[in-house]
Amino acid sequence: MSLTIGRSLLLILFMLHVSVLSGIGNENDSSKKPSSHTLKLVQAVMCEDVKNQQPINPTLALSVSIGKAICFSSFESVTEKTYVVHKWIRKDVSVTKEKLFLQPPRWATFSRIHLREIDKGPWRVEISDSDGNILQILRFSITD
Amino acid sequence: MESIINFVNSFRWQDILDIAINSYILFRLYVLFKGTNAFRIMLGIAFLWFFQEIANYLGLVVTSWLFQGFTAAAAIIIIVIFRHEIRTVFQTRNLKSILWGMPRRKESTSIELLSEVVFELASTRTGALVVFQGKEDLSEIVGDGIPWQGLISREMIKTIFWENNPVHDGAILIDGNRVRLVGCILPLSHRKDLPIYFGTRHRAAVGLAEVSDSLTIVVSEERGKVTVVKGNEINQVEQPSHLTRLLNDFEKKEESSPEKFYRKERFNMAAAAVFSIFIISAMWASFTRSMDTLITLEVPIRYLNRQPDMIIVETSANMVRLYLSGSGTLIRSVRPEQAQVSLDLKDAVVGKNHFPLIPDNISLPPGINLNRIDPPAVEVVLDNPMEKELPIQVNWVGELSKDLNLSQVKLHPQTILLQSRGMLLNNMETVYTEPVSLDNIHKSGKVIVGLKLSSALKIAKDQKEKIKVQYIVQKKFQGENAK
Repeated sequence: MSLTIGRSLLLILFMLHVSVLSGIGNENDSSKKPSSHTLKLVQAVMCEDVKNQQPINPTLALSVSIGKAICFSSFESVTEKTYVVHKWIRKDVSVTKEKLFLQPPRWATFSRIHLREIDKGPWRVEISDSDGNILQILRFSITD
Repeated sequence: MESIINFVNSFRWQDILDIAINSYILFRLYVLFKGTNAFRIMLGIAFLWFFQEIANYLGLVVTSWLFQGFTAAAAIIIIVIFRHEIRTVFQTRNLKSILWGMPRRKESTSIELLSEVVFELASTRTGALVVFQGKEDLSEIVGDGIPWQGLISREMIKTIFWENNPVHDGAILIDGNRVRLVGCILPLSHRKDLPIYFGTRHRAAVGLAEVSDSLTIVVSEERGKVTVVKGNEINQVEQPSHLTRLLNDFEKKEESSPEKFYRKERFNMAAAAVFSIFIISAMWASFTRSMDTLITLEVPIRYLNRQPDMIIVETSANMVRLYLSGSGTLIRSVRPEQAQVSLDLKDAVVGKNHFPLIPDNISLPPGINLNRIDPPAVEVVLDNPMEKELPIQVNWVGELSKDLNLSQVKLHPQTILLQSRGMLLNNMETVYTEPVSLDNIHKSGKVIVGLKLSSALKIAKDQKEKIKVQYIVQKKFQGENAK
């Protein structure tokens, strides 16, 4: 009984955390298209690091001195093995594209790039499902 | 022989038409101006031009230059000095007469009638001055007279010299059986040996006789006497029959029999026509058949028939170089604006279009040959103008304080409607702001910033050019894993 209550509390806390984080980054495009597999993106942020399946310091301006940029995304309704794509774009020029697999019960994933001086400037990451539907676009800058 | 065949083969129908038109114009000028002073000066100009060409051919630089100057000055002088004569030639003829008319035999003057009228005027002591033109044209001397063109009649002559008529003091000019001009002012003689009783009319008649081959009848108002002046002869006439005889003698001198007149005129016209063709052919040959000269012209390209919904974005060349050849005279006279290069964009499509430049695209003055076009082809990029709504992204620069985190940004507006050409907008997915520095940001706030747009992009009407950026900064999570 106590175990059930504990699990329920943990789930509520997790949902609360997700709702707070999803409000961050209103510059990002919030229109999401439903996936053919009803994949639902619940959080997508740029962050400095990921620890314990959680993004550390979600931000819209990443300093090149950190040495890396991470795009963290988490989903719900992951009922079968599927994948999402993180497409990194600098000033309308595609830089890299990463295919990230989601496998029940795995619900969160992230991609990262290493930063160099020449990477400074405006960036965006397009998160799309396996059908190519763009779920969210994260806009951020790499700064000094 | 071969060169003659080549010469004949190189003739175009345009060349024949060219020579024919100009020969006819020259011939008509001869017909219209024959016998005038202006015509004699025109002949002088033609000789000046001929000598200038000879001097030019012989390489006589100064002589050629002088003749060229004389020719140019004479052409201006002829228009200024002989303007009355030229005006008379065109005024007294209709268009058909100017274009087609041939000289007709002079109509005979009603000499008996005139003699009777003159003596009737003398009997009433009515002053009169009647001028008969000789071979020399009098337009320049009596050009200020009033055109009349009335058939000679007793009543009309009397009316003209009626003392209350405003023109009665001037002379009348008889031409055939018509009064051509009235109220003519004649040049006065400055001779000292004229009889004391000679008044202004007599002096005018003598003055005209001094500068022309005309015959003038003077009727004295004071004495009622009739005097005939011709050259150095001044004869007082007592009887109409005497006057008739004098006038007949003068007219016979000027006229011949109709058959002889027409035969002579036909010969003159034929000779003039042949001479005109010869002169124009020689001029044409000197213009077009002399040594080939080469020049290069830089000419702008004109783009025609562009579809209204398209714009020219880029061209590989805006100027083309034309390598031309032709006779030295023609080549020297070519001005850059006379050579035109046109490209028809009627069938052009959006994107890159390749147009080879062919002679059909080039317009040149007649007689100029096109040897080469550089570049031989032109690339033209066309596009459609369009509108596109694009999201705006802030271009953050600088460095945010190490303990702060830019956690949230709101833009007002979030998108912008841009106008430009399709190919440019289709490749755009985001519009960036001018750089916004993070260096001085220590707490949440807002900033107004412009958009960084290339000159080819235009913000649509009613769209804001400045963007409001609201940002929230928070303290960074400084946990053990945080950097």
